[in-house]
Amino acid sequence: MPPPCFSGPTGSDAVAIADSEDREREGAMATAAAFFRDERRRSFMLQALTLGLVAFGLWYLTTTTMENLQARSMSAGFGFLDSNAGFSIGFTLIDYKENDSYLRVFWVGVANTMLVAVISIFFATVLGLLVGLARLSQNWLISRLARSYVEILRNTPLLLQIIAWFFCVFNLLPRPKQSLVWGDAFVLNNRGFYMPAPLPEPAFWAVAGTFFAGVGFAIWFSRWAKAKADATGDAPPVFAIGAAAIVLAPLLVFLATGMPLAWEAPVLKGFNYRGGLEVPPSFCALVVALSVYTSCFIAEIVRAGIQSVPRGQHEAAGALNLSHGWKMRRIVLPQAMRVIIPPLISNYLNVTKNSSLAIAVGFPDLVSVWMNTALNQSGRAIPIVAMTMAFYCTVSLTVSVILNWYNARVQIKER
Amino acid sequence: MAGDALVFTPKPDRPPPVATVGPIGWMRRNLFGSVSDALLTLLGAYCAFWLVAVFLDWGVFNAMWEAENRRACFDAIGTAGACWAGVVEWSKAIIYGLYPAEELWRINAGFLVLIAWVVPLWLQRVQSKVAIGLSAVLIYPFLASYFFLGGEKGLLWSALIALGLFAFVLVLATVATERARGQTIGRFFLAMAGIDPDDEARARRALWLGTGAVYLLCLGAVAMWSLEEVGTRLWGGFFLTVVISGFGIAFSLPAGVLLALGRRSDMVVISSLCTAFIELFRSVPLITILFMFNTMLPLFVPSDVEINQLLRAIVAVCFFSSAYMAETVRGGLQAIPRGQIEAAQSLGLGYWRTTGLIVLPQALKIMIPSIVSVFIGLFKDTTLVSIIGLFDILNIARSVGEDPDWLGMFIEPFFVTALIYFVFCLAMSSYSISLENRLSAGERRS
Repeated sequence: MPPPCFSGPTGSDAVAIADSEDREREGAMATAAAFFRDERRRSFMLQALTLGLVAFGLWYLTTTTMENLQARSMSAGFGFLDSNAGFSIGFTLIDYKENDSYLRVFWVGVANTMLVAVISIFFATVLGLLVGLARLSQNWLISRLARSYVEILRNTPLLLQIIAWFFCVFNLLPRPKQSLVWGDAFVLNNRGFYMPAPLPEPAFWAVAGTFFAGVGFAIWFSRWAKAKADATGDAPPVFAIGAAAIVLAPLLVFLATGMPLAWEAPVLKGFNYRGGLEVPPSFCALVVALSVYTSCFIAEIVRAGIQSVPRGQHEAAGALNLSHGWKMRRIVLPQAMRVIIPPLISNYLNVTKNSSLAIAVGFPDLVSVWMNTALNQSGRAIPIVAMTMAFYCTVSLTVSVILNWYNARVQIKER
Repeated sequence: MAGDALVFTPKPDRPPPVATVGPIGWMRRNLFGSVSDALLTLLGAYCAFWLVAVFLDWGVFNAMWEAENRRACFDAIGTAGACWAGVVEWSKAIIYGLYPAEELWRINAGFLVLIAWVVPLWLQRVQSKVAIGLSAVLIYPFLASYFFLGGEKGLLWSALIALGLFAFVLVLATVATERARGQTIGRFFLAMAGIDPDDEARARRALWLGTGAVYLLCLGAVAMWSLEEVGTRLWGGFFLTVVISGFGIAFSLPAGVLLALGRRSDMVVISSLCTAFIELFRSVPLITILFMFNTMLPLFVPSDVEINQLLRAIVAVCFFSSAYMAETVRGGLQAIPRGQIEAAQSLGLGYWRTTGLIVLPQALKIMIPSIVSVFIGLFKDTTLVSIIGLFDILNIARSVGEDPDWLGMFIEPFFVTALIYFVFCLAMSSYSISLENRLSAGERRS
């Protein structure tokens, strides 16, 4: 219908009179239209409608779920968390026995997930940095090789890679009798990977304490040194003093207390190696696949970050006669970091999420041990799914809070 | 004479030193710039050569293409070569799963229709590319579902299948007329019927009549068309992978756009609901969503409704990918300068026209690379459905090694699976790069 301003009186009176009835009706409709044309009113109604629909959906879901639960005589409460789990777990980072509670199972899963994530993140970063630098190399062959590495690995599914590492590498390793052994300490066979376990004596905690004190001192010292450098232009040797505080001081304490750390090496007893730290093949496959897969993305992030620094910055550094090392440390990297850090951290988050694929090779991470085994044992689908989701949401929210804080901090301050 | 002696005859330029031009110069610059560079080059070349040689030995020269079972392969070549015979024997299952052999033509026909539907997007002189692309994403799935699933069809279901057939007929017709006469099918139809397209009321009536008649014809054809039902339990292999990721792609783009618009909306209720949905589905791994839908969807619906497992997986994948797509789209929307929206508003365009005509076309253009990488991620992530027990290509490849005849054979089927994924993902990303270059041609300065 035409807007009211165009339905004004026409030229001749006769028409105007004939139109007057129409106009009245039109006027009523125009008021109705005007009522809907007010944006605030319309948006209020739309939101009320949406809210109503969502509320109805939730109500419907809850009632049907309740009915279904009753029909299957299941309960939705968290009461089962204290009862005995009664199943064993193949690999646990924290202590766990068969008659521990379900809650303990949850924490075992969380610990295993975090362990896989942290170790994979470490290796992925190292590998990704190397490949990213190789990708930037002036050497045509090296940069091409790095590029093929990236393209091949990131264009195949991660799950396929995990399963392939498991079935085609770690499961095909020799039997314990023919294990691959490095220096009587590290052993690799088709039952897993074995390494010496540290056995700290009480005095070792003094060494650890010195180490943490050293780290604290190094952080404080680098801040103080930066403040001094900014104020006077005189830069104290941060690296040397920091390294001394972190490495040398604990080492001296370690020697002074008479080396209070023994190692327990794995030894072949009967059919398998015993003693030391043991990780199953599923863990190795998971960590290797996650590190290799994520390293491709990290390599691309590193490359993009370094390339994002404008050419003029390199040239300006050259004009100031800075050496290559100084140029990278003081000019290029600080600017590249601004671009690198946010996607890097979201990739770390992805590693944590992707570690849930552990279930495909039977490593007991959170999803495998909690959302699969515990759920099938107890049948409490709703609390178990909710707790798993809550864990992942917490991790991801924490990371995004950290990221926002970082982004706000490094944002270029414009005048 | 003295004048002759002074005439300047330039000598021709001396060629540049051999070591700076041509292949030798290129190698000196790019491969042997310094001693360490040369060492790296030699090391890299050695590694690359070794890898290629090992692969060729294993996969080509020592490989066996025909054998009864793995034992026969092993006796003949040991572990020195690949035993492709197992993969060859399983190839049908790797591509089609357990789909009955006499019905396989339906899968092929379904994908041929899709190819015929999307090929015009690459052809010159086709005007309605947007409509063709959108219909391929939004309407083709109905037609494809019937091709693949078959079986009984109610009235609504028949109407939707007929819509698919109708759209396919229209696409073919409009491509034909656009390429032959430079007119869309509508214009061509009006010209044939002798109706002046400027007489809007009459033209519209004629078009409605024409399309209605074609649709009724399609409906009739669908009513007479009957295919035997093939249950989703028999679906598998690469076919299943494509179906799941196809649904994910078709659903995630429109849903992602709506979610992103909702998140940016001024309306508090809508934006917070959209934000909650996006953040929830983005912060948990896909496998937990698959598990959740697998165990909880049956609880959410009345007990007499049966939701089959494939549908649960598809719903999970769709939700997950639309949350990711929403964030991608939001990134693109944020890149559009505020002035564009203000300019559109000053022309009197409302919200939907501003969004549809001004903001989205520009945003989608800059988002192409990230949208395609979401698609690639989705395509790779469909392998996760193997964990909840669907027989996608990965699960089938894994079953080869569990077949008594080929017990323990994992490397070869996994290699083939990886190769298929690699080829498809690389094709998608190269296409997105070329599209991006073509679309941004106007912004590039030499």
